[in-house]
Amino acid sequence: MRLTGRLGLFWLVVLVLPPAVALLALPPFGQRMVVLIGIYALMGLGYQLVFGQFGGLNLAQGALFGLGAYGAALAAPLYGPGALVVAILAAALPAALVAVPLLRLQSHYFALATLALASLVNLLAVHAENWTGGANGLAGFATALPRGPVLLSIVWLCLIACVLLYAQVFRGPLGETARLVREAPLVAATLGIDGARWRLVAFVVGGALAGLAGAFSAVLSGVVSPEATGFGGMVLCLTLVVLGGARHPMGAVVGAALAVCLPELLRDLQGAWLLAYAVATLAVVLWAPEGLCGLVDRLRGETVVPVAPPGLPDVLPAVGGPKTLVLEGVGKRFGGVEALSDVSLWLDRGMVLGLIGPNGSGKTTLLNVINGLERADAGLIALDKRRIERLSTAAIARAGIGRTFQSLALAGDSKRADLARAVASGAPFLLLDEPAAGAGDRERHELVDIIRRLRDAGRGVLIVDHDIELLSRVCDRMVCLERGHVIAAGRPVDVRADPRVRASFLGLDGLAA
Amino acid sequence: MAYALVALGFVLALNAAGAVNFAHGDLVVLGGAVAVFIGAWLGLPSVLLLPLVAITIGVVGILAARVAILPLATRPPEATFVATIALAAIIEQSLTVAMAGAPRTVPALAGSGTVEIAGVMLGRQPVAIVVLGIVLVVAVWFLLERTQTGRRMRAVAADRHMARAVGIPVGRYVTLSLALAGALAGIAGFLLGHQFLVTPTQGSGHMLKAYIAVALGGWGSVPGALLGALGIGLFETFVATRFGDVWASAALYIAVLVVLALRPQGLFGEPAGRRA
Repeated sequence: MRLTGRLGLFWLVVLVLPPAVALLALPPFGQRMVVLIGIYALMGLGYQLVFGQFGGLNLAQGALFGLGAYGAALAAPLYGPGALVVAILAAALPAALVAVPLLRLQSHYFALATLALASLVNLLAVHAENWTGGANGLAGFATALPRGPVLLSIVWLCLIACVLLYAQVFRGPLGETARLVREAPLVAATLGIDGARWRLVAFVVGGALAGLAGAFSAVLSGVVSPEATGFGGMVLCLTLVVLGGARHPMGAVVGAALAVCLPELLRDLQGAWLLAYAVATLAVVLWAPEGLCGLVDRLRGETVVPVAPPGLPDVLPAVGGPKTLVLEGVGKRFGGVEALSDVSLWLDRGMVLGLIGPNGSGKTTLLNVINGLERADAGLIALDKRRIERLSTAAIARAGIGRTFQSLALAGDSKRADLARAVASGAPFLLLDEPAAGAGDRERHELVDIIRRLRDAGRGVLIVDHDIELLSRVCDRMVCLERGHVIAAGRPVDVRADPRVRASFLGLDGLAA
Repeated sequence: MAYALVALGFVLALNAAGAVNFAHGDLVVLGGAVAVFIGAWLGLPSVLLLPLVAITIGVVGILAARVAILPLATRPPEATFVATIALAAIIEQSLTVAMAGAPRTVPALAGSGTVEIAGVMLGRQPVAIVVLGIVLVVAVWFLLERTQTGRRMRAVAADRHMARAVGIPVGRYVTLSLALAGALAGIAGFLLGHQFLVTPTQGSGHMLKAYIAVALGGWGSVPGALLGALGIGLFETFVATRFGDVWASAALYIAVLVVLALRPQGLFGEPAGRRA
């Protein structure tokens, strides 16, 4: 993934420069600003995990920051520096507690749930006066904690370590996983990636970072007030991440630097700096969606190295796993429309099954039901003896069913890549939805070759296509669907000779040709 | 009832834009502020002031559509989220700056405006709000269900690709929906401005209430949003009278989390399907 490549020398210098200059040359006031940059950047980096990488619109990061601040303030008199650990837990535990039951929520519900959590935290901060000091906040707790240059060093060491770790981790397969979860959740699920679980992990780890940042901020300012948990902090966090670059390892750092320095630069405008900041954010969303860091990379000529189009290896390794996929009496209704009715079929490994039928006969719905994108209303689906019709798509994929899609979900994707992904998942059974659609003669030949190699490697292939000639060449068996019913099944020659198939499908085909 | 208007505008904008409009609450506040400013400036009676506010905020809604929603139509909904959050911050900060020009006098202005207008209403304010609210809801219902324009708006909301395929100028109808949403927000802000003072930071609160109403009522459902808003109003009033405002808010947020965990499609189902 291009924006998450390992940090180059340029960014490394940018990252290390502020604390170095601050320690060597800046007066205490300047040092304080640099610490603040570090704090915001930590919070923002945590936010990048869940928002930038996994696409979850988390609106509680500001509140988690506040929880960390309160946690540190309350624990500091008791545990000294151990309060930092308390702060991390104070943010991460509530995050986990709330997020677990809300794992499956779609984007806008996730946003609302985190917003409700944030509002609760804010309410608590203002009104639980015995604990939080109410609107006055807490003060006088920071004496036991490091301050000045020591604090600066600790904050920036944490930040540098986290940025490097982030760059390293998201450069690898995790970056690709995140991209799939974010941009093509269905593809991710069919590859066995549980997006919701990743988002939970990102939310909790990001929350922990927010808590740590909150604790540092409590130490820096010496007071904690309910404002720390308010919506303003959340907006600041979101905008700084967007402004800097939601996925770029340095995005949060650059955004935080702007957020801290702008008010100083625009001091004459007083309150208007936040206005300028919001306008800048809107401009970035509209014209530079990759953020300022991405923009800088572009201007520096850091062009993306195009990845060679993926292909399949010459020799496909044999796979193990379940031996048979069986469907019995599967039915599916959409309102009054019976999309599938009493569909039964079986597929062995090392076998190619063709699925034909006119448009709207339920072919894609059948594939969707098999791999759990739709729930069957009736019937059973099993891999060997294991029932899978109630499992999630990701779980079905891990149980051994991969698939390709008719239309591509990822920018810059190709049918070849889609197929390669499904094959590479190692699933013993593959569902291919119109892999030959739009392909030229040469590609069709290649496809036939690939499917034969898949069969020889012991995979079971269920293929949907309109190219009956192609299917006849590669399939061991064929099934014809019409209006959700199986009207013929057997060897390709027999199915093609079936009068009902000729009437409903081949007749039309003949007219079209 | 004012909640219902906020939620109604919110759900219209939501359906048209295909994404949450986080600036909606700030449009409400802007409505209140515009009412305060213009009212103090021109000294208009509320009968004239109200349409003026509605038109002004409607125009702001159009601007919002042009700036933050239409250009992002082809991007994931998160981009629109962020753009409208930025827009919300812009409105809030502008208002803060504008109101800081005359610190402390603005709440008083709102107060005096209320008295002036209440002179006409003569304490019948709540009744007037309810009547006006019902009239507007019926008007919107009529527009959506009984006119060609409304049908097209619903078509755009249901499936914008299909709408475009049958020749509906999608951008124009999205803009129109946002203008309508803005006008409703302006009126709601006007009404709420009587009951409470107008302060720039109220926006996120209004937005949150509307968001909750829509999520509980069923994402994208207009009647669901109205029911959700009324339900929230009743719930808050009920809990607040027994246990106090703080508990009312806390209970509301906890209720939201519980409902989302147990019945994520909303209390009355989700007609709009899976959309952000």
